[in-house]
Amino acid sequence: MVALRLPANSRIKQGQTYKASAHAKRVRKFHIYRWNPDDGANPRTDTYELDLDACGPMVLDALIKIKNEVDSTLTFRRSCREGICGSCAMSIDGVNTLACLKPIGDVRGAVRITPLPHMAVVKDLVPDLSQAFAQYRSIEPWLKADTPPPPNGERLQSREERAQIDGLWECILCFCCTAGCPSYWWNGDRFLGPAILLQAHRWIVESRDEATGERLEALHDPFKLYRCHTIMNCTNTCPKGLNPAKAIGAIKRLIVERQV
Amino acid sequence: MALSIAHRATGIALSVGTLLMTWWLVAAAASDHAFAMVQGFLGSGLGVFLLLGWAAAALLLHFFLGIRHLAWDAGWGFGILAQQEPVGMGSGSRIYRITGWGVIGVTVLATLTVWIAGLISWR
Amino acid sequence: MTDKPDRPAVTPHVAVLASPLKRARGLGSARSGSGAWWAERLTSVALVPLTLWFIASIISLEGTSRAGVIAWLQAPVPLVLMLCMIVATFWHMEQGLRVVIDDYLRNDVMRMTMLLLNRGVCAIAGLLCVVSVLRLGL
Repeated sequence: MVALRLPANSRIKQGQTYKASAHAKRVRKFHIYRWNPDDGANPRTDTYELDLDACGPMVLDALIKIKNEVDSTLTFRRSCREGICGSCAMSIDGVNTLACLKPIGDVRGAVRITPLPHMAVVKDLVPDLSQAFAQYRSIEPWLKADTPPPPNGERLQSREERAQIDGLWECILCFCCTAGCPSYWWNGDRFLGPAILLQAHRWIVESRDEATGERLEALHDPFKLYRCHTIMNCTNTCPKGLNPAKAIGAIKRLIVERQV
Repeated sequence: MALSIAHRATGIALSVGTLLMTWWLVAAAASDHAFAMVQGFLGSGLGVFLLLGWAAAALLLHFFLGIRHLAWDAGWGFGILAQQEPVGMGSGSRIYRITGWGVIGVTVLATLTVWIAGLISWR
Repeated sequence: MTDKPDRPAVTPHVAVLASPLKRARGLGSARSGSGAWWAERLTSVALVPLTLWFIASIISLEGTSRAGVIAWLQAPVPLVLMLCMIVATFWHMEQGLRVVIDDYLRNDVMRMTMLLLNRGVCAIAGLLCVVSVLRLGL
């Protein structure tokens, strides 16, 4: 009924160790999850010893250094290196965060890096986000308005109305929160997860959008919304400091407000 | 996170514990003999452990965590919605940690109070 | 000689080829769920004062004889509060366990069975308590 061990072909084996050069003074170990879909082997943990004096401050700097100088087969997503694209989301030292925003100095001891938890792995640290993005598409994240726009095309919005989406528009869809939610682990095929629900709330409180009722009805489902049990891992892990749990609470209150 | 699963675990444990309450009430309604039997069990070592640990500690932890949940449902205790500095190691916003430790503290105090009151009443 | 393309000897069978969007949309929104959510909050709120009262009453009743318990329940206030507490407790218990079952059981038959058992046991145990209390009190 419940599997307490990973299936045999998923168990993580001990991999290779890559030592630092002899005259490195500040050496740190990086234990990184590796898996290649093409070679039929089990996943493994490779250990890379890096000289921190020759490396940038962030974990992403270490990953890029490893790929450039030590092992070019290490595979991971990255782009902006400044915490705005959301590509380098992974689990570092047990916490889902962006590698480009996580200082190596914040981790004590060896740095353990694994892909986002409970997501299918494409290769090494690259998760398969197609389900998550499909769920994003399913909430219809665009402006829906029956009123035609004014002649100059600009739909007006007051400062107060614009402030409503603060804390919501900044989401970069890195899915750190979603991959950290136990409800999403167990029911990710039907539960939308915190990232998508935060975005759903972004459109619900958008003053220029006129399909609020429709949006609330689309979420009003025992699985899509109500698998959230306020476990709070999402807000605790968001690398951008956003608050999905609060947004989800607001959605639940709006739905009840309609009928009580 | 640990408090969250503790809320679920105490909830499940308490659900099983209602069987004890059911037994007590049914026995009380049935006969003097049945009632004496259940009171005897509650006075035994296992019975006392169940009452102190289960009925008191688990109940009070679930109770105070539940109040924290009700506060969240009302919209209070999440911290702010606008973008703020992420609090590093994924440990949560200040209000989350304060309410979390607050619940633990209040539960310990309440449990001790109930235990002491119960022992006094027993004498 | 032409190069043989890289292909496994047997084409792997893929059972699910539906698009991610199809799977994400599923059967669409059930348009329900807030009723259960709200009811759970109501039983929780009701149980805050009722549980405190219950704990205090149990402590004060310690060591009382059966006759003492009966006498206590014959007063209308303890009788009614006890009934409210029992109903709220078993209802709250059913709601909470229902959420746990929904979370962890994926097999539909197993899930439905456990959900029905949940309702059944809570209803029967609740009725046993209510009937016992009424017998003692009335």
